Amino acid sequence: MSGGGGLRNGRECGEDAAAYVLGSLEPAEAEAFRRHLAGCTACQQDVAELEQVTGSLADATVRYEVPRDLRRRVLSEVRATPKARASRPARVRRPVVVWGGALAAAVVIVAVVLVVALGSGGSSSRTIQASTGSAELKIADGRADLIVRSLPHLSAGRIYEMWVQRGNATPTPTGTLFAVTSNGTAAVGVPGGVSGVSAVMVTQEPAGGTPAPTTAPVIVARLT
Amino acid sequence: MLGSRGRSRLADLKALADEELMELVHDGEVRAFEVVFDRHATVAFSLAYRMCGRRAAAEDIVQEAFLSLWRSSRAYDPARGSVRSWVLTVVHNRAIDALRRQGPRDRRDVPDDGIAERLAAPDRTDAEAERRDEARRVRTALDELPPDQRRVIELAYFHGFTHSEIAKMLDLPPGTVKGRMRLGLTKMRNVLSEVSV
Repeated sequence: MSGGGGLRNGRECGEDAAAYVLGSLEPAEAEAFRRHLAGCTACQQDVAELEQVTGSLADATVRYEVPRDLRRRVLSEVRATPKARASRPARVRRPVVVWGGALAAAVVIVAVVLVVALGSGGSSSRTIQASTGSAELKIADGRADLIVRSLPHLSAGRIYEMWVQRGNATPTPTGTLFAVTSNGTAAVGVPGGVSGVSAVMVTQEPAGGTPAPTTAPVIVARLT
Repeated sequence: MLGSRGRSRLADLKALADEELMELVHDGEVRAFEVVFDRHATVAFSLAYRMCGRRAAAEDIVQEAFLSLWRSSRAYDPARGSVRSWVLTVVHNRAIDALRRQGPRDRRDVPDDGIAERLAAPDRTDAEAERRDEARRVRTALDELPPDQRRVIELAYFHGFTHSEIAKMLDLPPGTVKGRMRLGLTKMRNVLSEVSV
């Protein structure tokens, strides 16, 4: 194990690695450590080695039988949640396309803003597409899929998390976490569709997701 | 009930590695997901229950973790670790969130392993028996740590306390807490590496 080696804020940077892998840093410290981690190979090695131990700590617990109801509930929900695939042909009969967004080429991204104008004729399907190939929200037959392109590949321990907002309420987690492929693409479903939803958002979060956003959204798809 | 073709398909799936199953999960194959669930749900539920001490909360956490795996199978990257560690990381992070919402008093009341509700899962397969052996080795490595190192690791990992909270609780400088975490994890790593050789 390297023991770190560099200096961060005047301290040996390796001293935070153990607390980090145990999930024990304060949120602001964890965020600062993640930023540091991206450029410190000594800490990357430390974290990788210590994570092997924390990964095995779950094995130190006594085993409990999984409740049968839990298995039934999970599988029932899975069967009711079709997968979103990038290659799925669009089932769009009457697309309405309104776009007003941008994706910065800088380090971290800027929100893509999609404004969706819903048809008044009760159309059951519509597609909204970003002009620069950064994000596309497909809504068809009551389901919605978000397809992103050219998003940055996140460092280890980070993940994209999807949120939905109703009215001006605080965004709520959808439970959808995703990484992007090497060319920055991903296709994910919006669980439950977008009925009553005013915006679909994506933020960068720690692996496993969070119950409330901890970073500014990188994608905001507003539905009006 | 499964027909003979269904049973054969299930047997084929059970022979696959997690990484291969995840390819099928990504394509929407529910049976592949079932196999993944059955392989890892016990350890996931046990960890969530150990951390939260409440059956309902543990069930919610595990349900959400596996549904995330289904909805976001693209998020799984084999280069970053196993399916098992991905699931356990999700469970651990969500359990910490749940614990931190409860407040410190509730967290210290989490029951220990000897609680009356314990339902020991039987060894059904060689793989499960191997995992139980591995569990014994990890428990031994944890138990053999100096008590001050074991305590900070348990308070952090199983109870979700931050190092600052632990420092206040034990009346120690934060740097000492971090140092004990590091020493303890390093010792465990060395012990587990030796045993594995």
